[in-house]
Amino acid sequence: MLRTCAVSRHSHQVRQVADGTAGTLRLGIDIGGTFTDFALVNRDGARVAVHKQLTTPHDPAEAVLEGTRAILAAADLSLVDVAEIVHGTTLVTNALIERRGGRTGMLVTRGFRDLFDIGKEQRYDLFDLRLQYAEPIVPRRMREEVSERLRHDGSVMEPLDEQSVRDAVTRLVEIEKVDALAVCYLHAYANDAHEIRTREIVRALHPELYVSTSADIFPFMREYDRWMTTCANAYAQPLVDSYLSRLDDGLKDLGFSGSFWVIGSSGGLMPPEVARRYPVRLLESGPAAGVLMSARFGRELKQENILSFDLGGTTAKGALVRHGEPLRKYTFEAAHVYEYRSGSGLELQIPVIDMTEIGAGGGSLVWLDELGRMRVGPKSAGAEPGPVCYARGGTNATLTDANLVLGYLDADFFLGGRMKLDAAAAATAIRTGIGTTLGLEAARAAWGIHDIANENIARAFRMHATERGFDYRSCGMIAFGGGGPIHAARIARKLKIPLVIFPAGAGVMSAFGMLSGAQSFEVMRAFPRALDGLSEQEFSRALEAVEEEASSFLLASGVPSAAVRKNRRVDMRYRGQGYEIEVPLPDDLTSAERLKALPGLFAERYRQVFRAELGEALEVVSLKIAAMGPAPQSFTTGMKPAAGVDTALKGHRPAYFPSRRGLVDCPVYARERLVPGATIEGPALIEEAESTCLLDSGDRARVDEHYNLIGEIGVGS
Amino acid sequence: MNARQLDPVDIAIAWDRLISITDEGAAALVRTSFSTLVREGYDLSVMLFDLKARMIAQSAKCIPVFIGTAPVTIAHMLAKYPPETLSPGDIIVSNDPVIGTGHMFDIAVMMPIFRQGRIVAYAMSITHLPDIGGMGFSAAATEIYHEGLRLPIWKLFAAGRRDENLVELIRMNVRVPEQVLGDVMANVSCVEVVSRQLLEFMDEAGFASLRPLADAIIGQTESAVRAAIAAIPDATYENEVDVEAFDESRRLVCRIEKRNDTLAIDFSGTGPCVKAGINVPLPYTKSMALYALKCVTTPKLPNNDGATAPISVHAPEGCILNAVPPAPSAGRHAIGHFVFPLILGAFERVIPERLAAPSGFINILTMQGRHADGRPMAATYFAAGGFGALCDLDGKATTPGSSNMGSTPVEIFEPLSGLVVERKALRPDSGGAGEFRGGPGQEVVLRNDTGNAMAVFSMANRTQFPARGMAGGQPGALREHLVNDRPIPTQGRYELAPGDRLILREAGGGGFGPPERRSKDKVRDDIARGFVASERA
Repeated sequence: MLRTCAVSRHSHQVRQVADGTAGTLRLGIDIGGTFTDFALVNRDGARVAVHKQLTTPHDPAEAVLEGTRAILAAADLSLVDVAEIVHGTTLVTNALIERRGGRTGMLVTRGFRDLFDIGKEQRYDLFDLRLQYAEPIVPRRMREEVSERLRHDGSVMEPLDEQSVRDAVTRLVEIEKVDALAVCYLHAYANDAHEIRTREIVRALHPELYVSTSADIFPFMREYDRWMTTCANAYAQPLVDSYLSRLDDGLKDLGFSGSFWVIGSSGGLMPPEVARRYPVRLLESGPAAGVLMSARFGRELKQENILSFDLGGTTAKGALVRHGEPLRKYTFEAAHVYEYRSGSGLELQIPVIDMTEIGAGGGSLVWLDELGRMRVGPKSAGAEPGPVCYARGGTNATLTDANLVLGYLDADFFLGGRMKLDAAAAATAIRTGIGTTLGLEAARAAWGIHDIANENIARAFRMHATERGFDYRSCGMIAFGGGGPIHAARIARKLKIPLVIFPAGAGVMSAFGMLSGAQSFEVMRAFPRALDGLSEQEFSRALEAVEEEASSFLLASGVPSAAVRKNRRVDMRYRGQGYEIEVPLPDDLTSAERLKALPGLFAERYRQVFRAELGEALEVVSLKIAAMGPAPQSFTTGMKPAAGVDTALKGHRPAYFPSRRGLVDCPVYARERLVPGATIEGPALIEEAESTCLLDSGDRARVDEHYNLIGEIGVGS
Repeated sequence: MNARQLDPVDIAIAWDRLISITDEGAAALVRTSFSTLVREGYDLSVMLFDLKARMIAQSAKCIPVFIGTAPVTIAHMLAKYPPETLSPGDIIVSNDPVIGTGHMFDIAVMMPIFRQGRIVAYAMSITHLPDIGGMGFSAAATEIYHEGLRLPIWKLFAAGRRDENLVELIRMNVRVPEQVLGDVMANVSCVEVVSRQLLEFMDEAGFASLRPLADAIIGQTESAVRAAIAAIPDATYENEVDVEAFDESRRLVCRIEKRNDTLAIDFSGTGPCVKAGINVPLPYTKSMALYALKCVTTPKLPNNDGATAPISVHAPEGCILNAVPPAPSAGRHAIGHFVFPLILGAFERVIPERLAAPSGFINILTMQGRHADGRPMAATYFAAGGFGALCDLDGKATTPGSSNMGSTPVEIFEPLSGLVVERKALRPDSGGAGEFRGGPGQEVVLRNDTGNAMAVFSMANRTQFPARGMAGGQPGALREHLVNDRPIPTQGRYELAPGDRLILREAGGGGFGPPERRSKDKVRDDIARGFVASERA
């Protein structure tokens, strides 16, 4: 496999840093739907600056370059001072949603050209006869069959007919003008020889084509999922390649000579060459960075189990951190086509941080269903026209409008006062849109909107945690994103979470998160074996092969072999079950001990998740290895208050607290003036430029030495 | 919270919470189940009932048969064990098809939920077990007594103690006891999860009783369904369809009296049971009828007993839609699936915009034999026909109607069965032509590579009676089974010799509207997509 193809340029960059020819600053850049966020830290682990810049959807590189200039200029610095840039992008997500990828062809095992049209043969809603499904990424006329066939054990049933490959590729290039190609053969996860030979033939004929092979992209049983992922990868390749080139050129023009990394869906950093090869692994790269940051806060605050909560403009996202590590998974559904329904999108198999995402963000629209029940989201007002209070043409009430009417947001201090909000228009929209129909006054209706959003989010998180056997009642919550800190305390209360951490810099947390990722690459291999017939030697050899593959890319990018950490997990189940659970192998086991430990480790995990033990025979399904480089240096996201301010209390304003039977005159604090050790009792609002923290009556918070706000929920009630 | 009236916001939140509690139970079931029918096909359901045994919440993922059978099951359970005789830790089970889902593979596991010493609700979980003894998942039986272990309503747990005699009885009567008992216990964990979650919710919300909430849920749903029914003109609507029934055929007849905001469905005139396991017990018939009406009236609302209150269902005892012992019923879906298009078709002239033309249905085959290395092999294979067209939407290719089992991937099925899937492709021209085209079926070629003879049990339908078109649309193609290119019977047992190729041609869905109204552009697109072979359509 060619995972290590082109990382040499990067090792050159690393040497430059070591030589001191580049600067010492590190810059994180996160492109979101509305804003592109920037965070700059220095070698001493101090926050230097943060910045928000409107995203430029027609060419995201524009906002990246413009914002990079702006944040450095404001701090009187230049790109020469920057040693490293870590970047997260929604480019691939958007390309799939808007279908702006390359002209992609597919070579497929004879007999299976129609697999995408046949689909999974299941409706995702029982009662709705009008369901719609995502169109296949590669249209049928651009799929060509190839004569070859493997058995499930990898043995050859029918050899590869090389002439059929040449004929198919020639037609796809000459007639269909494809610029990217997905090679998808049955059982290729068990033996990739036919796919590799096909790639060689294609390369010889058309070296300019981008080629993705299914065993390389994600070597996983279940052809529909693997092939879909391979096609998505091929589809994104031309786009990502040209985007990264533009960015690279632009940064060089600005004088940048440090190292450049792209953060992947699983939170690992990849050099641009790897991102170009596996662009499908860039889905959700920004949100993953936020979760990494939560994990870091959790470790620093000695909270091993964390619910990471991010609320932005269009969605709320939750992720779980267990023993300091974010939970991961291998499926992600992108680009829903029917009412944001799960099942209507493209289901892709990539290693991702396991997040639940629901359509409940600041811009989520409020509406009444056919029973007249109030609903919030998943449709969003987006950035254009945005919430009614943005006064940019929006007329339908949103969650942000409700938060403004409830007094949680200050019309004059949104984004630190850079954007004035229209509170009267928000109240009118809520009254006329919802209140009148339900016979509720504006404040009561607004509370309903706020509380329904909280309930929706709490419910999604509860489901997510329960499915994973995670006891959310004893964990800590970390709240960030523009809207997270307003909703966190009340969602925590619903979930019986006793502790909420409001980190400093919550509004640009994903950009900070970019800077806490380590280089890493994960490889997964199918390894279906009955446990009782498995020899120690076979198991060790299989594990080692996967370890070697996962580490090869880190070694090639200059990480010394001794610094590579490996995280080993084995998917197992009772023989006869269809779903497996992931069993982590403790690092301190010798390779001889590992196989013997499996039954005990499995039983323990199974008991935790399902509260049962069956005493049946066990089987191994697959092996997963993540190889990781050293963690980057730690930094703080808070800023020391300016001297000479003796009180953080800014004043009072009316805000709605049902726990106090309606409107109360709520104290408002300036976050940047809070000093370590200060405590605040709810009800209270604590404002910073990018976000506002809400404490309910009975909650109490104190400021820690890194300027994080540590909230204890319901201690006073 | 009971001190004041529940307002619309309170209700919306609490209602969703009850559904999410049942979904959490379902998630645990899928991940622990040993049955491919449960985890690939979601052949399961989890429900909450109020004190009056009214179903108030149901997990979102399930198949239609569970829409209306569980209320019948729980009513019988509580008749045998009245609420006042139940204690905390009691768990009641039954797989009796007559009061359940229509075949003995489905086990219903019910637990009363106690709070402060009193019952506040009931939780129920139902799954399709991997085996129940008898003749396996096939229509081969001629009497119910051939079909395996029929459990009476019985306490699996009494006050927290498991009845080991019952466990032993199950163990001795099934082919794969560890898996069957594993699945039974998965159901027990599920109702315990539901119970714990409900109690947590009641504490948190300050509910001493679920009654006000249950009344609101049922009341609101019922009025929405009544309003939708009221919008249909008062009349008697009728329809009939013919179905294949092994060596015979049967006519299914329905007559729907629509008066104000109620519907009364009568299946009188339907033919008698047959001596094969495709007869349909009444709860299954009722479920399919209620399911069809829910799709037509209020597809976007969550399901509960409020949706069924305005609707009555009658079928004369002994007809093939109201089978009673000793009539066998393991493969009752083969006939039961027709109830859905039978009901929808009755409304063709009044509300065509809310209907779908009949679909090609799903094909379910069971294979038994030995792998190449001699291990015993048993596998179930699903292949979907095409979905029917709507008044403004083409039918989706290869998508099940009436039921909703998913397919098993080729790469999973091959090692499971020892069969090689040589080809799985769209079947061009199988979707009924129309202004909106019916969904095409598929052609699957399976080769017996085990080196051993293999028995195939088939319960196929749509082999003589195609999915009809609607409003001038054409019917879909018929389902065909061939071995080595020669047609074979589609209902019953067939033996595949080593190397034999079994070819399944799945039925297409019906079209909607006259085909001549379909534009040339769309026909060209149909050809490019492989739905149509030539310009002839």
